[in-house]
Amino acid sequence: MLLDVILISFAIAYLRGGRLRSIPTFNHIVFLVISILLQVMAVWFNGIAGIFISVAYIAMICFFYANREHEDIRIFMIGWFLNALVIWLNKGRMPIDLEQAKKLPFSVEPLINGSDFKHSILNDDTLLPFLGDIIHMPFVIPRIISIGDLFIMLGAFLLVQRITNKPISLIRLREGKNYVAKH
Amino acid sequence: MLRNINLAKIATSLLVKYAIPLTAVAILISTIPDWQIRTHWSTLFIFTVLTIFGTFAPVSTLNARLTINNAVIFAGILLFGIWVAVWAAFIEQLFMVFLFRHSFKKFLYNSGQILLTLWVVGKLNLLATELDIPWMIGDTLLILVYWFMNTGLVAIGITHFFQVKLVDTFKNMIKAGAGTYLVLMMIGSVGARLVAEYGSLALIPLVAIVFTLSNIFRQYYDSLNKLHQKVEEVKSFNHRFLTTMAASIDARDRYTSGHSMRVAHWGREIAKDIGLPAEKVEEIYVGGILHDIGKIGIEDEILNKKGRLTPEEYDKIKQHTVIGYEIIMQAGMFKELLPAIRSHHERIDGKGYPDGLVGDEIPLMAKILAISDSFDAMVADRPYRKGLPVEEALNEIRRGAGTQFDKVLAGHFIEIVERLPRKELESIISQETQSKKQLQEAIH
Repeated sequence: MLLDVILISFAIAYLRGGRLRSIPTFNHIVFLVISILLQVMAVWFNGIAGIFISVAYIAMICFFYANREHEDIRIFMIGWFLNALVIWLNKGRMPIDLEQAKKLPFSVEPLINGSDFKHSILNDDTLLPFLGDIIHMPFVIPRIISIGDLFIMLGAFLLVQRITNKPISLIRLREGKNYVAKH
Repeated sequence: MLRNINLAKIATSLLVKYAIPLTAVAILISTIPDWQIRTHWSTLFIFTVLTIFGTFAPVSTLNARLTINNAVIFAGILLFGIWVAVWAAFIEQLFMVFLFRHSFKKFLYNSGQILLTLWVVGKLNLLATELDIPWMIGDTLLILVYWFMNTGLVAIGITHFFQVKLVDTFKNMIKAGAGTYLVLMMIGSVGARLVAEYGSLALIPLVAIVFTLSNIFRQYYDSLNKLHQKVEEVKSFNHRFLTTMAASIDARDRYTSGHSMRVAHWGREIAKDIGLPAEKVEEIYVGGILHDIGKIGIEDEILNKKGRLTPEEYDKIKQHTVIGYEIIMQAGMFKELLPAIRSHHERIDGKGYPDGLVGDEIPLMAKILAISDSFDAMVADRPYRKGLPVEEALNEIRRGAGTQFDKVLAGHFIEIVERLPRKELESIISQETQSKKQLQEAIH
C-alpha cells in the first residue's frame, strides 16, 4: 500500500548510512493480524464491508496503542485516528473525491457502482469531508491520499529510519537536540 | 488582602480549568464548517505539511525553545483567515497529545490559549483590513498583540500549574525569548505577503531563511552555553581555592580551626539579614574566608604561644591585618575585599587597629566581619579553655554595641543568633570545617 514510500524511506536511510540490523519486535501482533484478516474478509462480504472495515480500524488502533512506546508508532496513530474518524462517521467507507479519482489511471467504475468495498464517493452528505481522500498525489505511485495518510507516511518513513538504526526523533527535534540519539 | 489573593487564585483557576478549554471547543466547532468547503481543502493540506515542519523546527534561545509554528499560524491568519490558523493549531495539538505525554489538563489549557489568541488576532486582522490600514503597520501591531496574548496566557497557565508568581514568570518569558519570538513572527508576516504576491514558490526562500536562522541561533547559543559552563567552572574552582586558602590559614593557627569558615558564615547571615544584594553577600562570605590571611606572615611561636602575649608580641599579631592587606593587594585578585581584611579589627569608637578609623569611616564589610569574628572567637572552644556560652557572648556584643561594634549590625546579629534553633547553632559553632579535613587528608 505504501510500497513507494517505504522504498524511498529505505533509500534515504541507506544514504544516511543506516543498515537493516534486526526486524523490530512488536507487542500484540494479534491485533495486526485481526485487522488485516478483517480487511481481506471485507472483500467477500461487500454488503457489510463497512462493519468489517470499521472494526479492522479499531483493531489496528489497539495494535498501535500496544506499541505506543515507539515514537513512530505514535505518529502512525495520529494518521490512523484521523482516517478512522472519517471512516467510522461515513459507514465504514473512506469517502473519496470523484474529481480527484478521475485523474488516476484506474477505472472509477467500481467506485460509482458501489462495488469498491473500501471507498465511497464524497458528496454533500459526507461528514468531515476534509479528512477523506481528497488530494491527488501524482508520484511515485499515483493515488488519492487523505490528510491522515500524510501522518502515516511520515510514520512509515520514521519507522524505516529506526529499524535501519538511524532513528530520527521528532521529540528530540522539537527539544532542539541532536536529531539522532547518541549511543 | 488575603481575600484578594484568594479571589485572584480562584479566578485564575476557573479561567485555566474551564473558561479557556471551553472557548477552545467553541472556536474549534465554529470553524469546522469552514474546513468543509471544497476549495479550502488544498490549503488545509498545505498547512498540514507546513505545521509538521513548523512543529519540529525549533529555534533555541539561551533559556527557551520556540517553534516556528506560531509564525505558520500567523501567516495562515493573514493569508486565508482564522480557519487555516485553527487548523494549524489543531494539527500541532494533535502532535502534542499523541507524541508528548503531557497531562490532559495542561493540554486542554494550551490548546485553548493558542486558539483564543489566534481568534482574537484573526478578528483584529479583519478589522485592520476593513479600516484599510497598510499591512506593514497592521501586521506589526497584530504581531505585538499575538505575542503579548500568547505569552501572557502561557504565563497564567504556568502560574496556575506550578504555583509561581505571575509577574516573575511573565518577565522571565520576555527575557528568555521575546526578541527571537518577534523575529519569527515577522518572518511569518513578510512570508505571508510574499506568498500572496508571488505564489507558493516564495516558500522556498522562506524555508531557507528559517533553516539558516535556526542554525545560526543554535551555534550562537551553543557557544554561549559553553561560555556559561566555563564561568561556572571558574567560579567553582575559585570557591575550592578559597576554602583551601581558609583551611591553610586556620591550619597555621592550631587554636582556631574552622574559624575563617565560621566567620564567613556569620558574615553572610548578617549581610542577608540587612538585605544586601546577592553578589554583596557572596563578597562578604569570601571576605570572611580571607579575613585572617595575614596570619600567614606571623611567626609560629607567637601564633601558637601558650599563655599571655607580651605587648611587643601583641603588636606583631596586630600586624596581620596589614600583612593580609598587602598580600591581597599584590595578588591583584579580590580587590573588593581589601577593606574587610585591613579593617576587621577597627572599632566604632576609634580604638581599633591598624588605622584607628571611627564610625562610618569603617567599611560596612569590615563592620560586619568584626562582629562575626569576635563572636566566633568568644564561643569557640580552644585547647586551653572552653568557649563562652552563647548567651554570654551575645551579652558581650550587646555591651560592645556602639563602642566596639556598629549598633544596628550588632542588633541584627543578636536577632539572627537568637532566632536559630539551639541544635543548629551548636552544630555551627562546633563545626570543624570540611575543607580543613580535606586539607589534612591531602597532606597526610
